[in-house]
Amino acid sequence: MPRWGMAADLDRCNGCGACVVACHAENNISTVGPEEAARGRAKHWLRVERYWEGDFPDVRVTFRPVLCQHCDNAPCEPVCPTYASHHTEEGLNAQVYNRCIGTRYCANACPYNARFFDFFNPSWDKPLHLQLNPDVSLRMVGVVEKCTFCVQRINGAQVQAKAEGRGVRDGEIQPACAQSCPSRALVFGDLDDPESQASRLSRSPRGSHLLEDTGSRPKVAYLARQA
Amino acid sequence: MSHPTGVRINNDLLRPLLLTSWRFYLLVAFFGGFVVAGGIAWGSQIYYGFGIAGLKWPIYWAFYVTNFVFWIGISHAGTLISAILRLVNAGWRRPVTRCAEVITVFALMIGAMFPIIHLGRPWLAFWLFPYPSDRLIWPNFRSPLVWDFFAINTYLTGSILFLLLPMIPDFAVVRDKSTGLRRRIYRIVALGWRGTPKQWHRLESAMQIMAIAIIPVAVSVHTIVSFDFSMAPIPMWNTTIFGPYFVAGAIFSGIAGLLIAMAVLRKFLHLEDYLHPVHFENLGKLLLVMALLWGYFVFNERLVTYYGNGPAEMTVFWQTQRRSFAPLYWTMVFGNFVLPLVLMGIRRFRTITGCVIASLGVVVGMWLERFLIIVPSLGNKYLPYSFGSYSPQPAEIVVTVATFAAMALLYVLFAKFIPIISIWELKAGEHPSPVLIPPATEEHRLGELHL
Amino acid sequence: MKAVYGLYPDGLSAQDAVNRLRAAGLADRDITVISSQPMEDYEFGHMDKSTWMWWLACLGGLVGMSFGLVLSWYTATAWPMNTGGLPTFAWWPKLIIIFELTMLGAIFATVATLVVSALIPRKGQSLYDPEVSDGRILVGVENPADEAVATLETALRAPAGAQVKQTP
Repeated sequence: MPRWGMAADLDRCNGCGACVVACHAENNISTVGPEEAARGRAKHWLRVERYWEGDFPDVRVTFRPVLCQHCDNAPCEPVCPTYASHHTEEGLNAQVYNRCIGTRYCANACPYNARFFDFFNPSWDKPLHLQLNPDVSLRMVGVVEKCTFCVQRINGAQVQAKAEGRGVRDGEIQPACAQSCPSRALVFGDLDDPESQASRLSRSPRGSHLLEDTGSRPKVAYLARQA
Repeated sequence: MSHPTGVRINNDLLRPLLLTSWRFYLLVAFFGGFVVAGGIAWGSQIYYGFGIAGLKWPIYWAFYVTNFVFWIGISHAGTLISAILRLVNAGWRRPVTRCAEVITVFALMIGAMFPIIHLGRPWLAFWLFPYPSDRLIWPNFRSPLVWDFFAINTYLTGSILFLLLPMIPDFAVVRDKSTGLRRRIYRIVALGWRGTPKQWHRLESAMQIMAIAIIPVAVSVHTIVSFDFSMAPIPMWNTTIFGPYFVAGAIFSGIAGLLIAMAVLRKFLHLEDYLHPVHFENLGKLLLVMALLWGYFVFNERLVTYYGNGPAEMTVFWQTQRRSFAPLYWTMVFGNFVLPLVLMGIRRFRTITGCVIASLGVVVGMWLERFLIIVPSLGNKYLPYSFGSYSPQPAEIVVTVATFAAMALLYVLFAKFIPIISIWELKAGEHPSPVLIPPATEEHRLGELHL
Repeated sequence: MKAVYGLYPDGLSAQDAVNRLRAAGLADRDITVISSQPMEDYEFGHMDKSTWMWWLACLGGLVGMSFGLVLSWYTATAWPMNTGGLPTFAWWPKLIIIFELTMLGAIFATVATLVVSALIPRKGQSLYDPEVSDGRILVGVENPADEAVATLETALRAPAGAQVKQTP
């Protein structure tokens, strides 16, 4: 049974935002328009956090892509009254939209603020409505949504591998963000396979996890900047 | 020749039921208007989408959950206070208990609305109910929200019964004193009450058992409400002090609500002969004790956080102490601690007016307390990139105002249809001290047990 | 319904009436006393005091407790869901559900006992007079034997302030 995880090399991330756009396109995340976005209703399952270090003029900007960390001890899961938020056998932190009644408790309990509430029914500016992904369900008003590690791609690759009578190869599955990253900063893979690239990077001495001290045991490893 | 006190009590306490002035209709229309406005606000929130409220990423709980905690807190006025006073058999409780129990039931009904109002998909709220469904899935009994569901339902059921049981003898009085349709209605709700010693004993035993059962339930309800926050790993939420802190705060705000309601009733229903200054003075002392207890809990919470000096906690800490939430925070400290301490601590100010002013301060302060627990923590959660601020929108403000109007409306209607002071309990408190109790002879006692 | 009864202004005369009825050979269960408030200060107010209500409340609590245990156990194990790496059945959170249902069971049992034992009218027990609401205390006998009516009337008339009535 695989245990999906990710490694993010902060040395490679240049904050271009391609992953954010790819995530929106792949997962049918509705664009809410500039006014609503300014009111804090934008839903970026993946966001690139931008921090400045040092005092002017000796300032350095650093980037950190933050998405759902698919924690092993996810604080968002036990608080859900309807099991909309729960753990799959492959270690994914799953959200079942149909079960969600919109208490938003999971979004509050998430230390990373990686969960997003749908304040309105989804809509897209033309011509974005012509590029919706048929593999991803749309979310109605009043439910909470979040990064799935592109579970539709994981399942598709597993079905394909099974049809061909083989196991899933390392690197065969790429979430939209990892696929579109021009500098290959994001690496997705099976953490239980010691040979996978994501697993090796996660064990790197540069690696650490975000907000580990909350005890959530996240599965996204960040490789610290050296340059 | 009949008991003069008894007749007088009947007349005074039944007057609001039997005589209706135009002021009553005006009040109902006034408060009803606000309630309708609140219903429209909630309806448009469902129709247009939750976005018309001021909630935003990452502050997903704000006014509605504040109101939820606030009203559940107010509900601790009644049942808890009256149950404790009943158990210790405090004589001065008699005119107070029903006013208090009514607050409990209505505040709980209003408070229990908010988890539904704040839901993203309120039409699916029944999924919290444990029933075998075609979804083949049951509620998650590990979720504090499901604990809430059970605790609030138990408390609401218990409180309604706790309020209804001692009303039965009073319904019988109204039945005897009224005519026509009113008589027929009260005959039904009096449930065949006659007033035999057996009925009185069973009623009093039942009230004792209910009082014993309702006190731990009331404590558990607000502890579980506090678990909604303390179970999440959020700075300033994840603390073990929240259980008792919330329970103390709930009783505190409940007493304040009770004092305000009593003062209003006394003035408008002319109950000066029944609600004496001594009742306000006693409850005022209780308010003083709870203010001190509240101050003690806040001191504990703040000092431990300050000394621990965790970066995430301190961010929220300074938000409330010095930065954007500081004006609200210090208003809360003034209303919850300084004002009641001065007004209730100095005997000269412990008058009815003093009690009302202090209570208003406490009600405002306790509302702010819940707001300040919820919003600053959510808005300053760990990663500075995701910090946010919150300002309420018309939908939330209208719904909030409507709940206060709903409380007033329900109270007005209740006082119109049911004696607001328990008639029989008041009579029982006023009858003369025993002169002679002839001993029972053994052969007159029934040896068998009756249910 | 046939009945003979007296209305008394205070507990003292009512107690007198009750004692005289007893002297006339009536058992407590045949004497009807009705008052608009509990008469704890007088002996007649203590008739019929023993009750199983406390035990039934405990029984209701036990039933509620078992129901809470079964409900939380069955639903958690019927379709085990992993949430946050917590155990499927954990005692601490279940205790909350069990506690609330225990209390609910006790409350329901208490109210049910009250309704069944004291509020549902028994056949041949409907003697009442609205004057009780004004503070009068009613002492009477329901369905007396025809030959005894005269004796009972005398007994009821004796205490001070008595007002004796008969229903056909």
